[in-house]
This record gives sequence, C-alpha cells and structure tokens, in this order.
Amino acid sequence: MAFWLFAARRAAHTAVTLVLLLLFMYVLFRLVPGDPTTIMLGTGELPLEAQQRLRELWGLDRPQWQQFVTYAGNLLTGDLGMSFYFRRPVLEIVWPMLLNTLVLMTPVVVISIVLGVTLGTWLGWRRGERIEEIGAILALIPRALPVFWIGIVLLALFAYELRWFPIGGMRQAFFFPETWYQELPFFDIARHLVLPVAAGVLTSMADPLMIQRTALIEVKHEDFMVHARARGLSEGAQRRLARRNAFLPVLTYSAIMVGFAFGGQVLLEVVFNWPGMGRLMVNSVSQRDYPVAQATFFFMAAAVVTLNLLVDLAYGWLDPRIRHE
Amino acid sequence: MGSRNESGRPATRDLRARRREVLKFLGAFGLTAPSAALVSAIDGALQSASAQAAAGQPVPRLGVYLPNWPDQVELWRQLSREWQPLGIELDLQQGTLDTFVSQIVAEQKLPHMGSMSWGGAPDRLDPDYFLSEMFHSRRTARGGLNFGFYRNEAFDRLADAQRSEMDPAKRQQLVREAQTHIVEDSPSIVLFHRDIIHAYNKRRFSGVKPILGNGIGFPYMPLSYMDITPLTPRKFMRLTSIYDIASLNPFLTPEIYNSTTLRLIYATFTTRDEKADVMPWALERWNIVNPTTVDITLRGNTKFHDGRPATAQDVKFTFDFINKHRFPALSRIYETVESAEITGDLTVRLKLRTASAPFTANVLGYAFLAPKHIWEAVPSNLATPADWPNDKPIGSGPWKYVEWRKGEYLQLAANQDFFMKPKLEGMVVLPVPQMESMVGMLERGDSDMLGWNLDMTLGERISRNPELEVVRTPTHGQHEVRLNLGMAPTDNKAFRRALQHVTDRKKLLDIIFSGAGVVSNGAPITPALENWANPAISAPEVSVDKARAVLRDAGFTWNAQGRLVMPSA
Repeated sequence: MAFWLFAARRAAHTAVTLVLLLLFMYVLFRLVPGDPTTIMLGTGELPLEAQQRLRELWGLDRPQWQQFVTYAGNLLTGDLGMSFYFRRPVLEIVWPMLLNTLVLMTPVVVISIVLGVTLGTWLGWRRGERIEEIGAILALIPRALPVFWIGIVLLALFAYELRWFPIGGMRQAFFFPETWYQELPFFDIARHLVLPVAAGVLTSMADPLMIQRTALIEVKHEDFMVHARARGLSEGAQRRLARRNAFLPVLTYSAIMVGFAFGGQVLLEVVFNWPGMGRLMVNSVSQRDYPVAQATFFFMAAAVVTLNLLVDLAYGWLDPRIRHE
Repeated sequence: MGSRNESGRPATRDLRARRREVLKFLGAFGLTAPSAALVSAIDGALQSASAQAAAGQPVPRLGVYLPNWPDQVELWRQLSREWQPLGIELDLQQGTLDTFVSQIVAEQKLPHMGSMSWGGAPDRLDPDYFLSEMFHSRRTARGGLNFGFYRNEAFDRLADAQRSEMDPAKRQQLVREAQTHIVEDSPSIVLFHRDIIHAYNKRRFSGVKPILGNGIGFPYMPLSYMDITPLTPRKFMRLTSIYDIASLNPFLTPEIYNSTTLRLIYATFTTRDEKADVMPWALERWNIVNPTTVDITLRGNTKFHDGRPATAQDVKFTFDFINKHRFPALSRIYETVESAEITGDLTVRLKLRTASAPFTANVLGYAFLAPKHIWEAVPSNLATPADWPNDKPIGSGPWKYVEWRKGEYLQLAANQDFFMKPKLEGMVVLPVPQMESMVGMLERGDSDMLGWNLDMTLGERISRNPELEVVRTPTHGQHEVRLNLGMAPTDNKAFRRALQHVTDRKKLLDIIFSGAGVVSNGAPITPALENWANPAISAPEVSVDKARAVLRDAGFTWNAQGRLVMPSA
C-alpha cells in the first residue's frame, strides 16, 4: 500500500514537473529575440508587408496569451502543433529524427553501460593495484576530450586515410552491394554506425565506469562480502555479487543517460552528418521554429523525468533494503 | 541616440526594454544565456555609440558589428590595422547571423558600422536590389536593409526611375548615375565581390557550365546542370549542398535555397544564361507592349510531369492563384501583376500594377508554371494552399521529382519532354551540413559535385587531386561595411570618405580570400555585371595622407596622443 502511495505521489510530481517545463519552455523560446518570420527568411528576402501577412497566416500576430492558450489546448489533445519551417505537423518532423537518433544512441548507451560496468567492476576489484590506476586514467582521457574531436580523429584515420568506413550520414543514398555480406540487411546502416558509435562510447563510457568502480570499492568491504568470502565463494562469484550490489548508482545514472540520448548528441550528429534529434534541435532553435524546438526539448526532458520516476520505483524492488513506509 | 529612435515608437521601446530585463534575468538559467549575451553586447555597443562624439572632443570608440565568421574576424583584424593611422579605435562586437537579422535589420540597431557579406541570390542580379533595397530612404524603416539610414533625394529619384524604366538603354544610364551618388556619399564601404568556388569530378562528368552569380553547383540557375554529361556508365550525378529543402510546396517557402531547388521541378517563365542575361525558359518569348502590359507566349508542346499538356489556361491560373492567395513568398509577383488574360492557346496578356523594370528577371524569373488541374483540387480547408504537403510535386521543369528523404537526399530524374533535354538521367542532392565532410565525400568519390562555396585553401587542396576540377565564377554578391549615418562621427561625409581612402580592398581580398574575387569599384554593383556597373567609377585611391587631408579639410584634428578629434562647432 505504502508503495502505491509513494508511486502516486512521485507520478504526480513528475506530471507537475512536465507541465511547468512546458510553460517554462514556451516562455523561454519566445523571449529570444526575433520571430520565425524574421529569422527564417534571412536578410531582406521578404518585404515587410509580406512578412506581416505571414505572421497573420501563422497566428503570430495574436497576443501571446492567446497563442499559449491555443498551444496548451492543442497539447491536451496530443497535437504538438505545426512546424513553421516545414509547415507540417511537429510529430511528422520529430518522429523520424527521433528514430534515427535512437538507432545511433541505443548502441552507444548499451555498449557504454555494459563496458563501463564490466570494466568498472574489474578495476574496482583490483583496487590499489597499478593496473587500476592506469585503467582509470585511460578511461578518463577520452572522457576529457571533446566528442567532436574524437569524431574528427576517427574520421581522419578510418574514413579518410584507411577508407574502411564512410565519412558520414546514416546510409548511402544509392548503395550498390558488390559482395554477399554487403547484401545483408542493415549492412549499410551498420557500417555507417561504427565510427559515430565508437566516438560516442569512448566519451560516455567513463561515467558509468567510474561510478561502478567507486561503488564497488565501497561494497567490497561490506559485511555481506566478508560473509561471502567466509562461505568460500569463488573469486568470480564474489565479484558478481559485488557487481550486482554496486550497480544501483549506475542504474540511476543510466536513466539520465538514456533520457539525454533521446535528445541526441548534437556534436556527434553534426560531425557524422547523422540526421537526428540533436541537429533538429539546434536548427529549430536557430530558425525560431518554436513548436519543433519545444517538442524536441520536451521529448528529452520527458524521457529524463520519466526514467527517473521508473528508477525510483524500481529501487524498492531491486534493493530489498529500501522500503516504502 | 539618434533622433530616429526618440521619434520612434515609445510604447514598443518600453516593452522591449522590459522584455530585455526579463531576458537578462532568465539568461541566468543558462538556456538563453547566449542570446541574452548577444543582445546586451549590441546594447552595449549602442550605449557607447550614443555617447555621441561632441564637437572638439576625441572621436569615441567606433562600434562595429561583425558576424563571428572566421573570414570576418580576419577582415577586421586587417581593417583595424589599416585604419589605425587615422587615430581611431574600434570596438568590435561579434554576433551571429541571427543577431544581425533580429537586431540590425529587424530592430535597426546598427552601431557605427556593420560588416556583412551578401550572397549572390539570383534576384540580386538585377541592379534594383543593391540600389533600392539597400539605399532607398524608404527602406530605412524597421526590417528594411537601409539600416545605415542613408537619405538622398536625388538618389531616391534615380532609384525609383530605374525601377520603372522599361527601356534597357535608358535604365542603364539611370542605374549608372545612381551609383555615382553612392560612391560620392559613401554610406557603405563596398569591399569586394568574392568568387564562387565550386568543384566537381572531371573523370566522371563533363559539360559543366559556370554561370555568372551561380557557379556550377548552386541550384539558382537551372541552366548550369543542363549540359552535364556523364563519362562513366553511371548516368546520374550526386551533388552535395549544405542545406536540405524544407518543403515540396513551391508556394510556401521564400527561402532562396528551397525555392530555387523546387524551381528545378517547376520551370520558371524566364531564367538567366551564362552571362546572367535574362532568357526565356517555360516561355518561348515575351513582348513588352507598353510599360504596364506584357504579352507572354508559352512554349508549344510543353507537358507537365504527369503527361498533361500545359496551356495558357495554366499560365492564367498560376497568376490568378498567386493573386488570390497572396502567398507571402511570392509577394513580388502579386504586387506587380494585376491580372492575366488568355489571348490564345499559348498566349497570355499580363497587366502590371506599375511599370517594373526588373519584371522579366524577377517576376517572370521567379513565377513558375503551376498545373491548374492539381492546384485547383487542393483541399479548401487549409488556411492557405501553401500549407498543402504537395508530396508528389508535378511541374514542367527539366527535372522530375522522384523522392525526398528529409536530411538524407532529394532525388530527381531528367524530364525528357523538356525543350532542352538534360544529358544526365538524374540527379541526387545530398545535404551535408559540414564543409569538411563535403570535401571528403568529393575526394573519396562519394559525391560528384560540391555545390557550396569553398574557400581558396580547400579549393587548392581539391585541385591537387587529378580527378577533381575547381571552378571559380564571379558573383554579384558583396562584402561591405555599412556606416550608420544616424550618429557621429559616421554621419560626417568627410569621415566616411577618409575611411574609403584607408581601405585597401585589393590587399584585403588577397589576404583573406587569396585574391579569389573582384575588387569593388566602391559602388554596390560588381564590375563583372558589365551592363549595370558604371565604368567611370573607380575605387578611391588608397593613401593615408589623402585620408588625413580629407579629415583635416573637414575640420578634424588630432590630439597629443594622436587620437582623432571631432571638428569644433
């Protein structure tokens, strides 16, 4: 019972957060100087009268509160509005980009977490050894480098010099397979994925790795670990036990990581010419395409907040020590 | 601040001031911080500028707005050095194109001067753009491009006269005379007209045709792709561009890249040839009956891409449709054409609202033939037919639509029914948002033509590749420094002329763009447009002595520290 009360309260918090977020973003985007008609059209391509007519057609001439009421009303029916730039419903614009981003970010997040946890456990287990010091430093170096730089270096090496991989894009328009393996489904997307995923993993792996390592070092000295050793569990079994118990902080962090993955990584997407959410986000902000900009940020924020909620709820189940009373 | 603002719109100004306060506050939250910073940077520049130079006092630091592009930064490093001997100091404020549009054009808040480069959009080939749009006093209003507040009645009269003069020879005279005022009054320091640098794979394709103001790869002028001939079994060409299109509806977008790309599918009535002279395209000919009456004749046997024949019905429908819906993107058409009457199977008589000299270039060259049978069936529940998705565009142009994947590619196939048959079987336009990737794709053979403006460094690197050819084409686009005539000391003509004498245009072009371009003669129209440039005008002599003499004659002096001092009242 206590759990359901807790869940309801957390869900209500989440809902309030999201509503505030929508309102805040609405106001924020409109405070940035310039409106879609001035920014999109660039320098003097439209006479003032035509620009005024465009504002009327797009409803931008109405008072802000009226525009907001319309926007909020539409939102309640699941309508995110029309993009000013594309003149298509926002979902139709955002959805394909979101899918593209997930194609890129899912492997990045999964590989980062799996590798991070595995290596973090391994390093934490060898606490105090020379290999732990070197390992931690090695993991932190790519973390400290900007992702676009890593991307450019990978491109220079593996795309320009060795020519093993394409230099960007999600697939090659008009790709003609020459060998049997090139005919495999997804071959083209897969070879386009290798470099951006590598760059993404290199930069995002260090966080789960370091968190797991720290947590493991703490767990290692807990009573139940001493007990496990006393029971004569093998080293591997002990490590697995410690890994599972050290995983909680990484889980919390993963929720945030997945959430942000929905927003794509702008720099990664630009360097590798990936048609995803990050680029859409940046373009829509600079074009003052408010509905699209709001939708992209909202998707990202909603993912972070919702996953946080899920993790909070899952804690009680994952960790028997946490009880909702 | 200048009198303009005090007589401006007090209510809006208060509101804007308040809005800015809120913005600065919210900027602390981080999300809008960059924008807020730019706004306050420009405000800061204006405040320092509004500490107007008082008579007999040293000239204040001059506020300069420049876009944060590497070439502009380098340009101002050079200019600061060149202008130093005059005893002036510059306060450089870097912004983005956004700030330029929203602050300087829309809100007309130019500090003492603003640096800008104007691209060579096709409508700017007509001299009307760089004269009337930029310097006519009518365009000093908010959103107008005369944001330096140049006002000269004699110039206005000439600018208006050339706009309505339908006789090309007489118009040429007016255009040339108008430019002498600009050079004399110096409202702008026009620096140079940078060449368009494109590249293509010459092992795979030949017949590439450079067009003045367009280069070989921009979609602005459809003639440039017509003669491209494949040299290998692959009959379609892959072209890279920085942008992607936003929509397939030709009535929607005023944005130049999108609208010109769609005009590969929708043939315009006229277009421009290699020398940028107007030539018939969907039309067979036009005839100017009198200044407000033009007869146009469609080419016989024109077919739309769905096989239906095009007739005078479609021509009339096109103009009626645009007039009825007043599409903002096509304002120049409905503002010029009053009515269209069918006078034969292929002929239509257009009545113009006023005589318009740019008519054949900018109205007939911008309006496209729209199939009546498709657009009259567009659902009427839309606010405007411009919002219709138009997923399968049907035009009559040299290229037929095949597929568009947003952010990935736009595929076009040759229209063998077009009067001038493309030699390619098709084209694929790939949007690549990064210059380095575009170059890499060309070098690796992943693309066949690079249709975006390269700089000379990249151009030189590409030209070392034996498979690739770099093509330089002159353009009418220009780099300029616009001076604010609404505040001291840039309101002083002698001061402006002195700046002209310490600006070494050729040196700047050599240093920043490896000399790839045409040095300006001081007028806004490039000498490469021989029809319109004034051959009698030449750039002011570069000489510090001369500049100082001009200033001295106007009463300027220098103080003990060598700083320029305003003339005493």
